[in-house]
Amino acid sequence: MRFASADALAGDIKVIANSSVKADVITAVELKRVFLEQNNSLGDGTHVEPVLEKDGPVHEAFLQEFLGRTDDDLQTYYRALVFTGRGSMPKELDSDAEVVAYVAKTRGALGYVSTATSVEGVKILAIVPAGNAAHRTLITRVEPEYPETLKYLNIGGTVRLQVTISAKGNVEKVEVLGGNPILAESAISAVKQWVYTAGHSRITVEESILFGSHP
Amino acid sequence: MWRRTVVVVFVCLGAGQVLSNAQEFKLFDRTVQVHGFVSQGFVYTNDNNWLTMDTSQGSAAFTDFGLNVSAPVTDKLRVGAQVYDRNLGQLGQYHPSLDWAVVDYRFKSWFGVRGGKVKTTLGLYTDTQDEDFLRVFALLPQSVYPTDLREATIAHLGGDIYGRLSLKRHLGEFLYTAYAGHRSDSIYSGYPYYFSSFGAHITSYGGLQYGADLRWNTPLKGLLIGASRMNEDITGKGSAINAFNPGAGLVPYSEASKADWINQFYGEYTVGRLRIDSEYRRYWRNQELFSGTSESFADVRGWYVSGAYRICKRLQIGSYYSRYTVTNVVAGALSAFYPPATDTSLPADHDYDKVITGRVDLNKFWNVKIEGHFMNGYGSGPYPNGFYTQVNPQGFKTDTNALVVRTSVYF
Repeated sequence: MRFASADALAGDIKVIANSSVKADVITAVELKRVFLEQNNSLGDGTHVEPVLEKDGPVHEAFLQEFLGRTDDDLQTYYRALVFTGRGSMPKELDSDAEVVAYVAKTRGALGYVSTATSVEGVKILAIVPAGNAAHRTLITRVEPEYPETLKYLNIGGTVRLQVTISAKGNVEKVEVLGGNPILAESAISAVKQWVYTAGHSRITVEESILFGSHP
Repeated sequence: MWRRTVVVVFVCLGAGQVLSNAQEFKLFDRTVQVHGFVSQGFVYTNDNNWLTMDTSQGSAAFTDFGLNVSAPVTDKLRVGAQVYDRNLGQLGQYHPSLDWAVVDYRFKSWFGVRGGKVKTTLGLYTDTQDEDFLRVFALLPQSVYPTDLREATIAHLGGDIYGRLSLKRHLGEFLYTAYAGHRSDSIYSGYPYYFSSFGAHITSYGGLQYGADLRWNTPLKGLLIGASRMNEDITGKGSAINAFNPGAGLVPYSEASKADWINQFYGEYTVGRLRIDSEYRRYWRNQELFSGTSESFADVRGWYVSGAYRICKRLQIGSYYSRYTVTNVVAGALSAFYPPATDTSLPADHDYDKVITGRVDLNKFWNVKIEGHFMNGYGSGPYPNGFYTQVNPQGFKTDTNALVVRTSVYF
């Protein structure tokens, strides 16, 4: 998977999902597995089913960038599943508008459309290049509380934390690397509620939190 | 037969065009999909008759079709079934069979179970060998995928466990399948037909099959490698001519596995429009014959290397080299009638096949293939491989060139 290209394509393609899908982001690896019917649920357990366009430039670009296959190869792949009893032919629709309409009314549906398409009634999923253990994207951020006394006295600065993230994306452990101890206490409390994208294993990252306007 | 074949083809061609856009319906709020295919072939050979057809005169007795329905019952549970029928020369003879009928429950991507009549995972193509439209070639390499013996490996009545395990540090992923079940061959399949050349009439043939497949999607994009193993405990029953007193009429016949296994190793590499496959299969078969009064030891080995290239959306070409050898030793009472066959340089004990192919996709649901086979040897020894004495009563020639034309419609 070429992450740089996938990032670039994020400007051309929107991945959309039915409102029943809890996640706000999807990794490129998850996207590929869903569309190849290798997974029918996301990391949070939400059931998903792929929806494709029949043809067109958005369809071709999506297949090339995210599935690494041509349409002919993909059709052959799906037929092999269908004729051995191991899968089904995903829904294929004629246009962006049809994809949006279908995704809006179908539980778990996941599709793609061009960025110019109106996506009323569906949610847009951000595509992140996860699967790369060194790269986890923050999904849920809780802002730390700035203690009133320190704020009044204009005492601020940066707190540096070492954050251990589980494979599922939850924060397991937070250690202070530097910064005001009172601010650090507030930062730890907030960061423990953060949620990242899932990955293959537990990782440790550094996070810096700024209190006030001056580091 | 010609008339029946033509009718089948045209009916299915029409159905394919109609159904291609209407292949699903709702049942109890679930989407039920219907898919099918029909394939018609024509084979002409310059010499030996091949695959039980009268190919030296040109034969179109080469028809396959299948129809399946499937539906998800819940997010994790799906069910489906396929009926398959074929006529290949003397085989099949339009006797339909339940190809697969599966209940599949996927707990997680790394663990699922499926039960019923399940397509067997063995190498790259065992489970999809009937669906020629999934690849460039009209016939898979017969050294590893003998179409006349498809029922030996195609499916089992039993269950599988399967899953997909991602490896850390970008090392790719493993896909595993383990299975056990019962194999049951039709009396219209290749092995019973082969046995009829000895005056035997097989009335039942089958038994336990179990094995596993492990394949690795490597970190090198497009490269997959894998290995499969199958063990069998097969029993065949029927009647046969008494070899010691042919005039005495038929006597009960039985054969049973003492050791019966397949090892298969394979690799597949796809880069751009090019796809390269290679597989090696060894089939070892040690049987008791006539309730243990005789014993046979057959060692069947095959391998091939194939390449396929997509020139444009509608046109693909391909080529492969396929090499098949077989040896056999009979011990016990029957050894007097069957001398050891261990010299694989003899044409009776090998079949080397060079193949070139072209595939044209007329539309998304219909293709035509033209394929040339240039074979040396006929491998008709102790285990069948495409060439049968019943349809070659005049004896075998060493070389056979074949033209295969095949068209398939699918939806």
